[in-house]
Amino acid sequence: MPDLLADRKNREFELIDRVLGGHHESFYELISPYEHRVFMTAYDILQVAADAEEVAQEAFLKAFRSLRSFRREAQFSTWLLRITANEARMRLRKRREVSLDSLSPNHEETDYTPILLADWREIPGEALLREETRRLLRESIAALPENYREIITLRDVNGLSTAETAEILGLSQGNAKVRLLRARIMLRDLFIERLRSKTKRRLSREAAP
Amino acid sequence: MKLDCKHIWRELSNYLDGEISPDLRRDIEAHVTQCRHCAALLDSTHNLIVLIADERRLELPVGFSGRLRKRLEKELATSRLD
Repeated sequence: MPDLLADRKNREFELIDRVLGGHHESFYELISPYEHRVFMTAYDILQVAADAEEVAQEAFLKAFRSLRSFRREAQFSTWLLRITANEARMRLRKRREVSLDSLSPNHEETDYTPILLADWREIPGEALLREETRRLLRESIAALPENYREIITLRDVNGLSTAETAEILGLSQGNAKVRLLRARIMLRDLFIERLRSKTKRRLSREAAP
Repeated sequence: MKLDCKHIWRELSNYLDGEISPDLRRDIEAHVTQCRHCAALLDSTHNLIVLIADERRLELPVGFSGRLRKRLEKELATSRLD
């Protein structure tokens, strides 16, 4: 492990010891680097900022209350984000009253073929810069099934490693990789569809007299 | 080893994440110099991941940290961690 990471980990363990020793104020210092990631994780699962903020607060509260049960072989951030993802799923379940049992890893094993290669178009580099494109991307992420949205959020939005992502979702690394592949391909397809219909609309506007 | 397109799809994610052996990487790169479809697939997915990473800059709602502190204050002041 690079020294910088080891240093941070040691510093975090010190802070945790202080909190557990009764200096509860140290909890703020412990969590402040993760406020943004916790919020984003909740937001990408729930898609509503107010709900995400509430869930983030709940997650921090829960982390504080169960700090003693944190096992130090994991990273604190991984543990914290797992609590967040669980809280967000619970909120989602309450909201929609649907079961998320379809997340069972067994679903990952079936064979999958992406859409025809002939239909694929490159996502143009310059498109990355446009605000409109970013909106289409957010729409595409929102249109993903929940289990795909979760993994894209953790791995690609929050930038966690595959190992951390797998741990948070309770998947083996192999299953996490398979799900990530599906999620990325589906997201790409959804995104391309949106880019295309946008281009079509623009062209037909330009063609009009 | 000569790879077919299906093989490239399966390894797409691992390739972009750098989680494959140097041999496989070489084989994939040999394939995409010959196959425009797979080259477009790798490029577009790569661009997409870059674009997603950009979303990380989405800001916290105004006042988030203050409200969080307020919410935690009482709990931190009164509870005991057992």
